[in-house]
Amino acid sequence: MLVYTLRRIAIMIPIIFLVSVVVFFLANMMPGDALSGKIDPLNSDPQYIADMREKLGLNDPIYVQYGHWISGFLQGDFGQSFVHKLPVSELVLSRLPNTILLAVIAMFITYIVAFLMGRYAGRRPNTTGDYGVQILNYLALAMPSFVAALLLIYFVSFQLGWLPASGSIGSGIEPGTWDYIVSKIKHAVLPSLCLGLLPIASYTQFLRNDMIESAQKDYVRTARAKGTPEKKIYNKHILRNSVIPIVTLLGFDLAGIIGGSVIIETIFTYPGVGQLFIDSISNRDYTVVMAITMLLTVMTLIGNLIADILYAAVDPRIRLD
Amino acid sequence: MDPVSRQLHEEPTPPNLDANRKPIKRGQSQWMIARRRLLHNVPAMISIVFLFIVTVLSLSASILTDIDPARINPMLIDAKPSAEHWLGADNAGRDIVTMLLYGGRTSLLIGFSCTAIIIFLGTLIGTVSGFYGGKVDSILMRFTDFMMNFPFLVFVIVVKTIFIDTGVLALILVIGFLGWTGAARVVRSKVMSEKENEYILSAISIGTKPSKVMLKHLLPNVMSTIIVQATLLLASMIVVETGLSFIGFGVPPDVPSWGNMLQTARNPGTLSEKWWIWIPPGLAITFTILSINFIGEGFKDAFNPKSSK
Repeated sequence: MLVYTLRRIAIMIPIIFLVSVVVFFLANMMPGDALSGKIDPLNSDPQYIADMREKLGLNDPIYVQYGHWISGFLQGDFGQSFVHKLPVSELVLSRLPNTILLAVIAMFITYIVAFLMGRYAGRRPNTTGDYGVQILNYLALAMPSFVAALLLIYFVSFQLGWLPASGSIGSGIEPGTWDYIVSKIKHAVLPSLCLGLLPIASYTQFLRNDMIESAQKDYVRTARAKGTPEKKIYNKHILRNSVIPIVTLLGFDLAGIIGGSVIIETIFTYPGVGQLFIDSISNRDYTVVMAITMLLTVMTLIGNLIADILYAAVDPRIRLD
Repeated sequence: MDPVSRQLHEEPTPPNLDANRKPIKRGQSQWMIARRRLLHNVPAMISIVFLFIVTVLSLSASILTDIDPARINPMLIDAKPSAEHWLGADNAGRDIVTMLLYGGRTSLLIGFSCTAIIIFLGTLIGTVSGFYGGKVDSILMRFTDFMMNFPFLVFVIVVKTIFIDTGVLALILVIGFLGWTGAARVVRSKVMSEKENEYILSAISIGTKPSKVMLKHLLPNVMSTIIVQATLLLASMIVVETGLSFIGFGVPPDVPSWGNMLQTARNPGTLSEKWWIWIPPGLAITFTILSINFIGEGFKDAFNPKSSK
């Protein structure tokens, strides 16, 4: 297992290198100077641009430029944000905890809701309750997250006033107090729910179908024949087997949530990395755009790595490849 | 949402359709059986009819209404639904029903075009990779894995930023060229199991050209997988287009699309007070995707030899 994990991590290094080449190539095609952020992208005076290009070494051969950028990158220097007048690393780090909070709560909601609904429907297939869960599932699979976001804001925030619809913290709340934590979580609930909508529906569906299938298997029949109480059969024998495949998808969820956060954070004006990404594109703050692109790609890579490792932990055959 | 992760949640279709199938009636082809199963699938049939109606309505938008969708009418700004304007008008005084029809045209056009490009590229790469195996396969699949590592939406937005001020065609091409990885993987695994069958081996052994084996013998037998995959992709491509347009990185704002229509709801005032502007496009998207999903499941059941339906 350890050998497999180490090998998977070793494979990631050349991939990250290639990813960085792609990002560098894209950044070079962007207008202005997308990597150090020292040229004002809105100033179109040709003299100014030519001078700055010469000064920043943008007329050097392309591999020299790449070398400069990647060595700065490895030392944590992501360049300067032109709009915020801050180092990009500082800017992104100030937003990252919010996005991570969102991802953690989204996964928490996903697993709890999918587990409860899947178990409920799986125990009573083809009853009214099961059909109810199924209808909810089909709707959740069909409704794009941003439409769900609009409906949730409209009903839960505007009509009922239960939860806030924008920002990540109420105004005038001191950090470190209990109220602060409560307010933080309250602001994250609706966006997290939208991010979790698709995985909730697919896991519920999976768990239900898997439970129904397992209920026919020999080991369940054996358990019944021994006189094991029905409740114990479901909770101990069936559920344990059905939950394992879902847990292995955790890494893919992480990747899905990262992609979804770009849209969802924008709707909820939630100050995370996704919203910063969209804002920076609108403001032509390309240094930030490229740094976040790199960051999100690496996070997706890590998500896939986690998925592979969890999968190998569950299914030993994978490790032999 | 991400079409790649959507595909990952899909179960693979069981290989070897022909070997497992019980003979229902002599002389029925796989396609006849599939058609019969599909015709008996009530949700799928209702969905096909629904999607057909939506498509026809959108395509005949210019016949059904004589209002210009792009014309800004100051008299009608935020007009409530009335007998003349069934669903009222938006913040620029554009009639919602007209916008829905023209918007459906854009959204469906983009959905179908992106799906076509992705299925073409995915089938090409997947078939070549699965058929030849060996070095060709490992090079193509390493490339596919590499492309899969990029967060799809983020890269579409970045590439769109480079080609700023471009229209609908650029959007279709960007989505198409970034989105084929999942389809290629699915087609490849199906081709790999299919090519072990004797009919392929005998075709190769009598000296049939590889291109002919792939086009004439392999492709018709992986078609069922491709059709199911295409249906799922169509749904996610519509979500991608509307999502991108919603945050302002998709279709140019002057072109009506369901995503652009929803964009007005990002204003809290519109969202809380003027339901007629954003509920209709929201429902149009949801029900279109719902019907496509039902059709996809109908196809999957129809092609599945183990299906009881």
